[in-house]
Amino acid sequence: MDQIINDLSHHIRLNKGFFLWMGFLALAFLACLYAYVQQLRYGLGVAGIRDYISWGLYISNFVFFVASSLIGMLISAVLGLIGLKWVQPITRIAETIAVAFAAVAGLVIVMDMGRPERLAYVFLYARFQSPILWDVTVITTYFVISLLLLFLPMIPDMAVLYKRFGNLPGWLKPVYKVLSLNWTDHPEQNRIIHRSMYILLILIIPAALSIHTVTSWLFALTVRPGWDSTIFGPYFVSGAFVAGSAAVIIAMFFFRKNYKLQDYLTDLHFNNMGKVLVLVAFVYLYFNINEYLVPGYKLKRADAIHLRELMSGHFAITFWLVQVGGLLIPIALMLFRKMRRPLPLTLISVVVLIAAWFKRYLIVVPTLAHPFLPIQHVPDNFRVYTPTLTEIAITLLSFILVLIIITLISKFFPVIPVVETAKEKGLDPLKSNES
Amino acid sequence: MKKLFYILLLVFIMLLRAEAQNPGWIVPDDQKGKICLVKFTPDMVKQGEALYMKNCQSCHGIPTKKNFAAIQPSPGDLSEPKAGTQKDGELFYRITTGKVPMPEFRNILSEDERWSVISFLRTFHKGYVQPDPEKMAASMGKRIRLSMTYDTARKKIMVKAVELTKEGPVAAKGAEIIVFVQRYFGNMQLADPKPTSESGYAGFDWPQDFPGDKTGKVILGARVNDPTGSMQEAIVRDTLAIGLPTNKPALTDTRAMWSTREKAPVWMILTYTLAVIIVWYFIIYIILSVLDMRKIKQVKNT
Ligand code: HEC
Repeated sequence: MDQIINDLSHHIRLNKGFFLWMGFLALAFLACLYAYVQQLRYGLGVAGIRDYISWGLYISNFVFFVASSLIGMLISAVLGLIGLKWVQPITRIAETIAVAFAAVAGLVIVMDMGRPERLAYVFLYARFQSPILWDVTVITTYFVISLLLLFLPMIPDMAVLYKRFGNLPGWLKPVYKVLSLNWTDHPEQNRIIHRSMYILLILIIPAALSIHTVTSWLFALTVRPGWDSTIFGPYFVSGAFVAGSAAVIIAMFFFRKNYKLQDYLTDLHFNNMGKVLVLVAFVYLYFNINEYLVPGYKLKRADAIHLRELMSGHFAITFWLVQVGGLLIPIALMLFRKMRRPLPLTLISVVVLIAAWFKRYLIVVPTLAHPFLPIQHVPDNFRVYTPTLTEIAITLLSFILVLIIITLISKFFPVIPVVETAKEKGLDPLKSNES
Repeated sequence: MKKLFYILLLVFIMLLRAEAQNPGWIVPDDQKGKICLVKFTPDMVKQGEALYMKNCQSCHGIPTKKNFAAIQPSPGDLSEPKAGTQKDGELFYRITTGKVPMPEFRNILSEDERWSVISFLRTFHKGYVQPDPEKMAASMGKRIRLSMTYDTARKKIMVKAVELTKEGPVAAKGAEIIVFVQRYFGNMQLADPKPTSESGYAGFDWPQDFPGDKTGKVILGARVNDPTGSMQEAIVRDTLAIGLPTNKPALTDTRAMWSTREKAPVWMILTYTLAVIIVWYFIIYIILSVLDMRKIKQVKNT
């Protein structure tokens, strides 16, 4: 038991690497914060978005963040409720990613607001008919449920570490003590946690499906070419699983290496996550074919312009790189067992994740560039969208925030559930050296 | 030599600046000299201010406040010298014809109304002196006055054109008349333009099923169509109770997807509220029960 505790918790300390990394993040954060201050001062004009293409990097990024956060639900709820034992060490990583991305997704929307001080109006003047209200509601809800799903299984861990992990940094002790809520492995306590988890795991499925379906409705409830689609909900959800699985694999690889968790995150886990990724990528591919073939066959005028721009026009290079390099080739590669080993799988996941980001850009921007009424009498930068440096920095700001949140959670709490791992092996977490 | 260079440079810059003003929005020379045929009065200015606030303020802001809309090309503050140094005719032409995104006010404001807006703007232009209408009148085209009646027997709208000459009013023959009906925004032309007869009349068939407001009122207008500019623009506007009374509820009167929050469809309010209540009931229940765990202190006995 001591072995497990030590293995899974030895990273909980303030070391040089952590300070270096956090220092780097903090510096980058400040630099990008400056860009945001510029935007607050001079308005959204400092970004490249204009009247026609008014959703640029920010909203693409928002969709990407919501997408990435969905993975918490897939891993913990869907795979967990089915009863797959191997996902257990990954659940916390998935929930951490979910919490971080969901928390920052809301902020990304604020970054896209010209007058963020009027944020309260979104609620004060909310209309029940508006998908914006639905989106705000479901994202808040999903964030809270994810936070609970992250926190509840951590209660026993914190109690055990507080009592038994000698190296727990002094300043963390009170935090652990308060958060562990007097857990003593009492059957009644375990019953409460168990039942709460069960309810949450069921709740999170509709909540997660709604957040990304509603996000897709922000687009699909318009009549614009490229968005006017009945399958946008599932299309977005499946795309979200692709992005999220890739993010989890990258995180797994990183934690395994840095926190020396080779015995807990084994090749088996990578192999299985690789299979999950292939599966969801196939589903996503299927929706992609639908999304482009159906309008491409009918070629309604507006759709034709849109598709031409994507496939052979202004966005062609990005489009084909994303579809072939970010979807087809990864799928083909991951069908081979060799490619599902940790290192190659992680490299593939990096490519998939980057492609997933650009995919959101391709969903958001090209449609805006082709309104039904011709764009007339406007300066050139209204017609063609080029993100500005300030805008890119503000987008990076959101990524840095996600990294900071993930770093803090994974640094000060065990990445892999300690008590669950112990019980799996038939050990009593509160007693030492039974085996 | 150096001096000359600077002077040339200065002239060049001024030319550039002049060129930069409203590029691509050229007022034809024969329109520049157009003036208002009456002296601006305080009443006119007052009416102009009201019209300005209703029709122009959304883009141009309140004069001198520089709070015009941030659109491209910039509408600018019309109290500034850029507008202030232009002739009456130039301002009039620009307001009349518009230029994307500025709407053309030809059919939205009558000629008199456009002039009153200008009279309002002129109060901000220092050093502006209105050209004397009396002196200028001689050089302007014919002055036409229109009037409009409804001929119940023949079901026709009769527009009468009278020319105001020095000797007094005489029937104007051959003036091309356009009749239009006012809609929410802008006007709808009723039929092809028609010239007035010998007696100065032009008659237009009035469709009997034309929808009016609740009491059947329709706002009609008529003007002389005169592209050559040989006559001064003349316009008449009148409200006649000759349409079918129509009592359609406004689109926002009923509960609908596009309506305000208060008029959201009931099923939508219910679905939303119910979903939120159910999910949050569970969340709060879980949070409370987990917090309750603290009370269970007694250590498990094994
Ligand atoms: C939809 C917005 C909009 C509305 C409403 C509008 N304008 Fe404009 N206006 C503009 C824009 C934009 C320009 C500049 C066009 C250009 O320079 O190409 C302009 C230019 C002008 C100019 C020429 C300014 C100059 O410096 O040469 C005048 C005069 C003017 N507007 C008067 C009016 C008046 C009077 C009204 C109301 C009756 C009005 N506008 C309503 C948008 C608007």
